[in-house]
Amino acid sequence: MADEQVPVLDVRGEICPYPMMKTNEMLDGDQKGIQILDVLTDHPPALSTVPPQAMKRGYEVEIDELGAGEWRMRLSKI
Amino acid sequence: MTTDSLSIENSKPNALRPTSRQTYAGFIVVTLSLLTAYFISRTHPEVAAIWVLANLFGLTLQRARFCFASAFRDLFLFGSGHNMKGIIIGMGIATIGFSAIMHWIIPNPGAGFLPSEAHILPVGLSVVVGGVLFGVGMVIAGGCVSGSLYRMAEGYVASWVAIIGVIIGLGALTLTWNWWWAFSISNEPKVWLPSIWNLGYTGAIVLTLLGLVAIYLLVTFMEYKNGLFMPHINKKIIPAMNFDDRVRSMLDPVFKRGWPTAIGGVVLGIIGIVMYTIHMPLGVTGELMRASQLGLGLMGVDVPVLDGLSTLGGCTGRSGEPGLLGHTFAITVGLLPGALIGALFAGEFKIRLPKQNRRYVQSITGGVMMGYASGLAVGCTIGAFFSAVPSLSLSGWVFGLAMAAGAFTGTQVIKRIG
Repeated sequence: MADEQVPVLDVRGEICPYPMMKTNEMLDGDQKGIQILDVLTDHPPALSTVPPQAMKRGYEVEIDELGAGEWRMRLSKI
Repeated sequence: MTTDSLSIENSKPNALRPTSRQTYAGFIVVTLSLLTAYFISRTHPEVAAIWVLANLFGLTLQRARFCFASAFRDLFLFGSGHNMKGIIIGMGIATIGFSAIMHWIIPNPGAGFLPSEAHILPVGLSVVVGGVLFGVGMVIAGGCVSGSLYRMAEGYVASWVAIIGVIIGLGALTLTWNWWWAFSISNEPKVWLPSIWNLGYTGAIVLTLLGLVAIYLLVTFMEYKNGLFMPHINKKIIPAMNFDDRVRSMLDPVFKRGWPTAIGGVVLGIIGIVMYTIHMPLGVTGELMRASQLGLGLMGVDVPVLDGLSTLGGCTGRSGEPGLLGHTFAITVGLLPGALIGALFAGEFKIRLPKQNRRYVQSITGGVMMGYASGLAVGCTIGAFFSAVPSLSLSGWVFGLAMAAGAFTGTQVIKRIG
């Protein structure tokens, strides 16, 4: 996978509400509009809280399990 | 409408990957916990039953990612109510079961007696101050007492810090309890809905359920106002598999994917009812209070005799029970292996260290606040709320409203902390 150009937001180690607060801040803060963003988390509840917030902002979400207790959520602008 | 089923949708089902080391570890913990139950049962059969039920309690909290802190906080922060809805459903189920049990104990609620062991707690300054302080504390710490307990088992180091904070807070409360008792709590009435205004059981149940429905609708309205997106549940296409794979994929929704919070609420409600039939409703702070008093004793501090506490029932009221193998021990410690089992089977166990030091400060500060508050209100989100509303106690509603006010304040604090 050529993931080099995909920007990464690493919120591993953070618990609720920070994964979604930081994701929202990043999505809302960029004026040019982020096309794609990988969010790395090790907090399972974030998998059910970040996607609805991203979808509300017009992103689709794909979740991959990276290993024990770690996930990557790829947000792509629809 | 649930978002939970979305979470693993794009990862492989369990059946298509080799059995992990975490799964094997999960089987070992199951075996050890059942052995523990067996050895406890030889001398304390009731405690053993509570131990197994507490395992289920911990498993349910972990699988449904049941989080009271997020239920209150996310309503204000993101207009998201799926955790709160699960809690409301659970309290609705428990209300029916608790009422049946209480009716069995006290057939005539107007006679001036309260059902023993029901969480009918004093209503007054203590529950308001306790609720607000608890609400602020749980948002700052990122989890309430039960949430921090099951996250301890999932490997969250910050949750260990939070629980240490809770124990410190309960110690501080122990040393100031007698002041609170004389100042306010001794004059606070225990208001049991079936015994007032000739409500009886029927009126109290109807009033409680209507209240829960009203809050459910309010939560739905807040979600609507915030335009929260409810993702579609994509059906996963599972390739043709052999029998073994098929059996394992059936276990996926239980052990791999998170449960919808509504299912978690229903299961927790039922566990609470069964727990009450054995002895008492769910509560977790009693054992932590015992730990704090043990700690004070070890430090050479004289633990005062706590005025009136044993007349209050609830969680901390039981902290004076002698012996290690008490019921509070079985509930609080027993939920840990249950949550660990849930995390291991899901492959979610991981030692998680916060990267920023201020998160440790948040955990200990929030923990101390929650500890002090849960002592003052004679329970936490579980004992003074989730078990009190179904006890048809007014205190549960007051504690819940005060927690909401506290959680709102807490969200303002964490927005500034960042």
